[in-house]
Amino acid sequence: MNVVLTPTMVGQVVISGILSGVLYGMVALGLALIFGVMRIINVAHGPLLMLGAYSTFFLYSTWGLNPYLTVPISMAVLFGVGLLLERTLVFRVVDAPELSSLLLTFGISIALVNAAQLAFTSDLRSVEYVTGSWIVGPFALSKSRTIAFAFAGVLTAAAFLFLGYTRLGKAIRATSQSRDVAMVCGIDVGAIHRLTFGLASALAAAGGALIAMIVAIQPEMGQIWTFKSFLVIVLGGAGNYPGALLGGMLLGLVEQLASLFLTTQLSEVVAYVLLVLVLLVRPTGLLGGRQT
Amino acid sequence: MKRVALGAALLAVLAALAMYPAYGTGYGTRAVLQVFMWVALAGSWNIISGLTGYVSFGHVAFFGAGAYTAGILIAGSGWSWPVAAVAGGVAAALLALGIGGPCLRLKGPYFAIAMLGLNEVLRALVSYFERLTGGGNGLSLPTLDATVPIYYAMGLTAIAVTLAARLIIGSRFGLRLMTIREDEVAAEAMGIPTFRHKLLAFLLSAIGPGIAGALTARDQGYIEPLSVFPLATTITMIVMTLFGGKGTVWGPVLGAVVLFVAQEFVWARYPYIHPLLFGAIIIAVVLAMPRGVLGLLQLKYRLPRTI
Repeated sequence: MNVVLTPTMVGQVVISGILSGVLYGMVALGLALIFGVMRIINVAHGPLLMLGAYSTFFLYSTWGLNPYLTVPISMAVLFGVGLLLERTLVFRVVDAPELSSLLLTFGISIALVNAAQLAFTSDLRSVEYVTGSWIVGPFALSKSRTIAFAFAGVLTAAAFLFLGYTRLGKAIRATSQSRDVAMVCGIDVGAIHRLTFGLASALAAAGGALIAMIVAIQPEMGQIWTFKSFLVIVLGGAGNYPGALLGGMLLGLVEQLASLFLTTQLSEVVAYVLLVLVLLVRPTGLLGGRQT
Repeated sequence: MKRVALGAALLAVLAALAMYPAYGTGYGTRAVLQVFMWVALAGSWNIISGLTGYVSFGHVAFFGAGAYTAGILIAGSGWSWPVAAVAGGVAAALLALGIGGPCLRLKGPYFAIAMLGLNEVLRALVSYFERLTGGGNGLSLPTLDATVPIYYAMGLTAIAVTLAARLIIGSRFGLRLMTIREDEVAAEAMGIPTFRHKLLAFLLSAIGPGIAGALTARDQGYIEPLSVFPLATTITMIVMTLFGGKGTVWGPVLGAVVLFVAQEFVWARYPYIHPLLFGAIIIAVVLAMPRGVLGLLQLKYRLPRTI
């Protein structure tokens, strides 16, 4: 507990927090999109991220592809998986009580994790491509984390441009504001649901692919990402898409700050306490969101 | 007449179970003990999730909290196990109060996801406070052969949970919980203090797993973070309740017995397929048979709501 804070340490914490925060924000944006458009919390979001990580691992280890080139491929693969899941299973519970959609996506997540265990075994795998750090003044920037930050930043920006300026993106936002009015305006709401689920899975896959280059992966890595993504959208305000990015930064900063005082073992505890505090003090999120 | 016959049949089953340890094999006694544990766990999950519709994805947290409370009290302070089991139930209820307070105030998925994280958090905390809990090395309890007394204690816990479900489902309190499940806004408009009702249901649903965890800790004599906080336990109690019929009294009992038997005798040969199958069962039940087996029978034969 006897930690003396120096400006360098604070700077390092802020840098590391922002680096991981953008990654959190990108993954959580996927969960926020599904929640906004379909009113479903996709418990399988983390396991989809895990599949993205494995996709990158196998493309790298089997075909020797440059792991950064595999990011778009993994995204495309998981876009397809997401589309398929929505088309076969998830669309059936869009209007069902929350209990059904939570349990259904929970069932999907269990099936995905255990199928991955059967197919890939529980061994820890890693993609060691870029190692070491860049030293900038007094600060150390982990290379893999910095590149992941850049990728996540570009992809998140692309997602926001897509949502903000394309017809399809506008259709997604319209559906999330009011499904009935969107339908009356001639938007194929079913297709928008599929597209949203696919996009969200692709964002999760991008997260998984980038994470695979930072830490070792295994089939059970996903669950905690469902939890953290949810925490991020609670922080930012449910249904508030830019809020996801802010929430991600905040979670990244808090986790890094906590790691100064506590062991990293407790980083999940810190995230949890944060969730409970936000729910107690400001349940609509820091930026304010839609009440559901 | 029919009621009397059913009551007599129930008493006969209970009497047979009560006499079983005197005549049965050691393996059989342990197997029935396990069934009792699953009945208690699935029945408890049913009280919060089956009745109010608030899905708990981390109910094993209460099992683990009960196990560690009892383990620490028995190994550290020399408490006798029955008292420690009660303490396990109390600890689980207090934990439920702490989590339910912030998370049940809100509608929506907040509660479900908070419970999803709770398990990981408790596991991390138990590993961190090594002095008290033994950390990753686990906690050994003094040796004691108490399988038969624990058999009875677990049986009583299972009966108590099922009886509690019966009393709740037959009461105004239960009706209010089901109103919350069907339409929470309407429930509030009718003047039901929804938060207090949800919190009470949650407290009640935590006690059973707390006691069951404490008894399991005593029975196994050794606990470690991975053995008492497995996500698989939550999954199993959810599958059992959904399969048997959520929101019914006997659904979780039916689910626990059927799936335990299936698990022991059929799937034990294919250990890797079995969790995958559980995921598939959840998906199939939610989509094709949301009321579960008992719920279907209720509809088909017009059985009373309170079975």
